[in-house]
Amino acid sequence: MVALASALGVFDVSLDKLSNGELWLAQVFRGLSDGATYASVALALVMIYKSTGFINFAQGSLALLGVYLVYVFSVEQGLPVAVAVVCAMVASALVAMFVERVFIRPFPPDHVLPLVIVTLGLLLIIDSAVGIVWGFRTRSLPSMFPTGAPIEWGIAQLTWRTIGNLGTVFAVVGLLYLLLSRTKVGLAFRAVSSNLESARLVGIRVGPTLGFGWALAAAIGTLGGALVVPDLLLEPSIMLRVLIFSLAAAALGGLDSLVGAVIGGLVVGLARNLLVTFLDLSELALATAVAVILVVLLVRPTGLFGSTRVERV
Amino acid sequence: MAAKMSVVAAGSRRHRQRQIIGWALFALVVVLIPFLIADTYSPTIFGNRYTFGLGNLSQAIGLMVAILGLNIATGYSGQLSLGHSFFVGSGAYLTAVLVNEFHWSYVSTLGVVVPGLFVFGVLFGVPALRIQGLYLGLLTFAVAAVFPSIIRLDNVADRTGGSNGLLIDSDLVAPTWAPIEKVTEWLHAIPGVGSRVPDGLTVRQEEAVYKYFLLVIVALVCFWLVRNILAGRVGRALVAIRDNPLGAAANGVNLAAYKTLSFGISAAVGGVAGTMLAMHSGFVGPDEFGFSMAILLIVGLIVGGSGTLHGAVAGGLAIQFVPHWSSQTQTLPGTDVALEGPYGTAILGGLLIVIIFALPGGAAHGFRKIKARLMPVAPQPPGG
Repeated sequence: MVALASALGVFDVSLDKLSNGELWLAQVFRGLSDGATYASVALALVMIYKSTGFINFAQGSLALLGVYLVYVFSVEQGLPVAVAVVCAMVASALVAMFVERVFIRPFPPDHVLPLVIVTLGLLLIIDSAVGIVWGFRTRSLPSMFPTGAPIEWGIAQLTWRTIGNLGTVFAVVGLLYLLLSRTKVGLAFRAVSSNLESARLVGIRVGPTLGFGWALAAAIGTLGGALVVPDLLLEPSIMLRVLIFSLAAAALGGLDSLVGAVIGGLVVGLARNLLVTFLDLSELALATAVAVILVVLLVRPTGLFGSTRVERV
Repeated sequence: MAAKMSVVAAGSRRHRQRQIIGWALFALVVVLIPFLIADTYSPTIFGNRYTFGLGNLSQAIGLMVAILGLNIATGYSGQLSLGHSFFVGSGAYLTAVLVNEFHWSYVSTLGVVVPGLFVFGVLFGVPALRIQGLYLGLLTFAVAAVFPSIIRLDNVADRTGGSNGLLIDSDLVAPTWAPIEKVTEWLHAIPGVGSRVPDGLTVRQEEAVYKYFLLVIVALVCFWLVRNILAGRVGRALVAIRDNPLGAAANGVNLAAYKTLSFGISAAVGGVAGTMLAMHSGFVGPDEFGFSMAILLIVGLIVGGSGTLHGAVAGGLAIQFVPHWSSQTQTLPGTDVALEGPYGTAILGGLLIVIIFALPGGAAHGFRKIKARLMPVAPQPPGG
């Protein structure tokens, strides 16, 4: 495949690069770091998909809003970054509950397409609101984790950021798992996502439970954003790319699997960094995400870990 | 409420007369507008001065056709496509390259754009067969976001101009036989109304008027062709697929064939829209046809009215003029808020949600309701 592509002159593949072990390792580390960030936004998408059966295209925008709140709390108010992230997570969770109550709950939950289009409208509104409030100039956001690398092999560095990103994502999945399997709220959430009508019949308050799902998803998305942005510069269109990679991650993992989202995120992060480095495809980074989505949907629409939906006709 | 008109029967002479009067009024407006606003029209509303040129209207016409294309795949056959900007962009770039490198005329590039995009749409429609509803939305959303990076690829950047975009060489100059100058003189000579028409057009204005008519003609042909396709067997099959795929299949509709066909037609119309937008601005840039256009087209589709032809017209006007209006509103009445920059997009997003909530059929449905109230038409009894 690679030989064919380079013979066609499409890609510029050099053997030096391919045999450079340190470069491989460096890219694996970077891929894992990126992957962890995609995974965390993918987790937010999966939370919404699990509970409501639709993809929240405004998830990236909610995360964007959250990241700007992190900026306000940390850079403008001078709070330590970790504290600022927690504050922003709470604030964005409140915003998401409001959004769910006002824009989502009035619509019948079993008609998915109007809801998807509403989330597109939310995407436009939130993105432009962020542009109106904070403007379009780029800013830099400090990272939660110390700089530097505890372990180095030549150019391959396992930085604190990589470790921190991975650790955060695994911690989030663990906590989510505990929350969903060991608490009453989690039980209600699982009941609603498994069968909305039956959940309502046994007395679960469906609306607030879904609102809780939105709040949780937005908080996780904000955390994900706070992991991504320090690598880049903060500006209003930044989360779009992240959203695409996260959609690919969620699709790969199976849209309703939390573990799938994490593994999907790591695979997409690795694939992206390795392909871009070894095939010199910096412009096609996004296209790798599209390719992942296309292949997954064609070959195995339920993803790696997703549950098959049985439809009765 | 206006005086209620008497009910007329569908197909009766009076009904036909009314339809003819309606179309004649429409034609009159379409013909008169360019001469009235060739010299940019700038009204002052609530202390805000708005400038409105013919070019804005021409762009709206291109967007109408783009929404028309999206309407075939999404509005009529129910396949959620969030990536139609990809087809529009491909059409625009195809036109730009053909005009620049092969010195074709704009209109003749349609001979390549239409079949090319049709084939492309069919190829795109084949994987879309296995992917339904939400998943198709997911895939097309990602595809839309990728278009600008494809244009910027090193291998094609010397053709497509990469990030800088492409300035198209050919200028559309009104041919000498076009009676633009004469019509302007006649209109100017009409007492009363004529004073609004300039007594002569500059070269630029004449070019704008010519472009406008060219775009109107292309758009009319597109709408007419699509109407004819959708009014017949194909249209019924597509609507059946949208409303009940199983029922359609049980009644002998070949789902796979019609779905791919709808993507093909849809992409071809989208490509024409791209050509029209390239014609209008004489420039193509990668970010114009990115993900934001894809979402705007969806906004236009829903706000105008999904699954109706009138909706495409209303939607095109909405996504062109709402941002235009807001970008020129220096002070919102009663406040001192300037609605510049991103406000336009925010308003469109709000409009999208309000329409889905309050008027799910879109503006076209609203107009139809009002019309039915003011000018009721009774259906013709069958047989007889």
